Amino acid sequence: MFAYLLRRFALAGLMLFGLICLTFVIANVAPSDPAVLAAGPDAGKAQIEQARREYGLDKPLPVQFLRYVGDLARGDFGRSIATGRPVGSDLARYFPATLELCIVAMTIGLVVGISLGMLSALFKDQWLDHLTRIFAVSGIALPPFWFGLLLQLGFAVWLGWLPTSGRIGVSTDPGDPITGMLLVDALLRGDGALFWQGLSYIVLPALVLSLPCLASILRVNRSEMVEALRADYITSARAHGVSRWRLVTVHALKNAMIPTLAIIGLRWGWMMSSTVLVETVFDWPGIGLYAVSSAIAGDFKPVMGVTLIVGLNFMLVNLVVDLLYGVLDPRLRDA
Amino acid sequence: MTTNRRAFLHGAAALSALAPGLSWAFDKDGNRKIMVFSGNQAVPVLDPHIRYDWSTRMMQQSVYDALLKYVGAPPKIVPWLAEKWEESADGLTYTFHLAGNAKFHNGDPVDAEAVRYSFERGLKLNAGIAWMLKDFLKPENIKVVDPKTVTFTLDKPFQPFIAYVPWWYIVNPKQVAANTVDNDYGKKWLTENEAGSGPFKLKRFDANALIHLDAVPDYWKGWPMGEQNRLSGVIYRIVREAAPRRAGLQRREMDVITNMSPDDMAQLAKLPGVRNEDHPGSTTFGIKFNCQSGPTADINLRKAIAYAFDYEALIAIHNGGARLMDSPFPPDMAGHIAVPDMPRKNLDKAKEYLAKSKVPNGDIELEYVHVQGLEDARRIGLVLLDSLRPLNIKVNIVGQPWTTMVARGAKPDTCPNMISVYVTPVATDPDTVAYQYHRDSWGLYYGMSHYENAEVWKMIGEARGMTDKDKRMALYGEIQKRIVADQPEVFGMIPNRTWSMRDYVKGFSFSPIWFTGEVDFYPMWIEA
Repeated sequence: MFAYLLRRFALAGLMLFGLICLTFVIANVAPSDPAVLAAGPDAGKAQIEQARREYGLDKPLPVQFLRYVGDLARGDFGRSIATGRPVGSDLARYFPATLELCIVAMTIGLVVGISLGMLSALFKDQWLDHLTRIFAVSGIALPPFWFGLLLQLGFAVWLGWLPTSGRIGVSTDPGDPITGMLLVDALLRGDGALFWQGLSYIVLPALVLSLPCLASILRVNRSEMVEALRADYITSARAHGVSRWRLVTVHALKNAMIPTLAIIGLRWGWMMSSTVLVETVFDWPGIGLYAVSSAIAGDFKPVMGVTLIVGLNFMLVNLVVDLLYGVLDPRLRDA
Repeated sequence: MTTNRRAFLHGAAALSALAPGLSWAFDKDGNRKIMVFSGNQAVPVLDPHIRYDWSTRMMQQSVYDALLKYVGAPPKIVPWLAEKWEESADGLTYTFHLAGNAKFHNGDPVDAEAVRYSFERGLKLNAGIAWMLKDFLKPENIKVVDPKTVTFTLDKPFQPFIAYVPWWYIVNPKQVAANTVDNDYGKKWLTENEAGSGPFKLKRFDANALIHLDAVPDYWKGWPMGEQNRLSGVIYRIVREAAPRRAGLQRREMDVITNMSPDDMAQLAKLPGVRNEDHPGSTTFGIKFNCQSGPTADINLRKAIAYAFDYEALIAIHNGGARLMDSPFPPDMAGHIAVPDMPRKNLDKAKEYLAKSKVPNGDIELEYVHVQGLEDARRIGLVLLDSLRPLNIKVNIVGQPWTTMVARGAKPDTCPNMISVYVTPVATDPDTVAYQYHRDSWGLYYGMSHYENAEVWKMIGEARGMTDKDKRMALYGEIQKRIVADQPEVFGMIPNRTWSMRDYVKGFSFSPIWFTGEVDFYPMWIEA
């Protein structure tokens, strides 16, 4: 087990380094002049040169790369060229908002996806199954920004039940962050009003974000359940008089969960990268929005920072999923 | 994608017409109202000496005061922290007399030392606004005469000086000193804090989401709408997509919105309780030629293109909300003249010039570069493509990020044949625009045409130091004519500035010298 863990970590480290190299190359391959951005509009040549020196952009690329890697090793993501602010502290500010959004979206995806998957397996080829199939296919096919605008139109403009965008009411003071996750902070402070307000803001973006994830969990879980329900051990368990409820939720579900888990892991990774779209539509102040606004400005340090965080998140989740396999399937523990 | 979005917006308008009468009252703080303004651009750095753009300066103007202030259309400069000023006969020394009753938000008086310190800070940080004055003013030549008097002695006469002073905001040196780390002039602290004397003070600063300002109840200059109607504060909310901004205005979650497309504005105008403000701006749009290298180095080809271009299409793209340029200078600039014989679409003339050029039969392809994501600039590229077809010239339309475009445009050999650029003049002095055509501007974004005419350069250099106003303006008239004659760019149009707001918003004012989207919150209030 220890050797297995070590191997996984070493591989993750290698991948991370690859990711750093790749993002650095992509960021620098364009014939662009970030110093112009740093110096601001109307700046003269002397100011542009000063900005170039200040940000170390006058050094050759290999030197810039070594510096970047060295800084990263010390936990320093560099400074945004457009704003001069440290990327690390920006990420620390925006990441909790994204994490919160993803957790809520994943919770929706898991609860709804697994239960609907289970139900459609049980009622295979009946109307419920057909209904969820249509739902799942459209869930994967709908472009998130379009679906987001549609929800805004329906629930915010037309019905007026929920706010259009943002994370909290403009004149509400969320107080100093504890975890940075608004809902958690509200609970920790015992502030019910703030919690409900936060919830009303997070519902729509979380729904949009959860949809593709929910849909694929649903489909994978359904087919695995169908498979599992046909298996010999289910027949034998049924022969032993195990209740139908226990048969489905414990015996079949546990076996169906292994491939589902892989999908959940992947989807979690994807979810964090698709926040780029959802956060832009809903103006959710997370790392996705941060990446978009920086990329538009041609400001690469923040984009690289976000890419690293998203990549790291992908790796960590895969690692956790691999470890969970072992828990769910004892046969994999020694592999 | 854009068509879908537009179709969607039309749908949104249709649906919302059916919606039950929603009324989310404006935000309130006791009896006083909080005005919510929404635009698409963040305010990453509040420090007035580090950075400016429309959203940033709107915030800076709210929390800081300067010696003078720009107001109105046409823009004029009015006394602010300085109640009067004098210029010496040789044009070198300027003396400002301070109002005396102004105080910073922490209660400290705004004195001559604060003024001296702020200009010194701006010059030494050498960022943001520094370019305006740094070649003419040394920090040691700013002298405190007494607490209410400060003098500036320039190295050489520089007539635009007064026109730039309104953008030099005054910070409280004591607060800055208290928050300085590693001799940084308080740079780190002032990024998200303020040390000003303006009508509003900072309550909450979240660079990417919202900025909440509180009105200063006993603002030293008083409140124009009277204490009774004064706002509790203003919230600037950053919403990147246009559709949610529009929904926000409909639902009264927002009181004023900006950065909407001409199509959106037309739809918004039809909503009950909503009023549009539409004003002639000063941001010029031009298609700069590479005058040094490639086919466009040939003046006859440049003239041919300028006469083939369909100028009316520029107005059509803006649904009528734009004016054609009649000079390199926008109309509100001092010294502006309507240049006679400004090229307009005339295919015969275009073909005449083409015949005189090095490519008499056309048969070339030219690259047109615009900033990626700027829909108007892309559509103008299509107009160019259509316009040049009769000349047998092909156009390759390329969208690139701003930093890439500027990097390419910095040198004549990498500069594309044609680049579309919007330029907003920061001051009303003609030098602000004229200098863009000077040799010194080569390599900067507004100098990407690499325009060359030694005589014109000499005139531009002379004009900035001339103290005789009439002679100076006459010289600028000549400069405008000469630049147009050399056709370094297709002089395009000046789009209008637009805002949409609830009809209870009062005190809105406009000045073309403010940037796109920028408004002055100080005189604004909500009547209800």
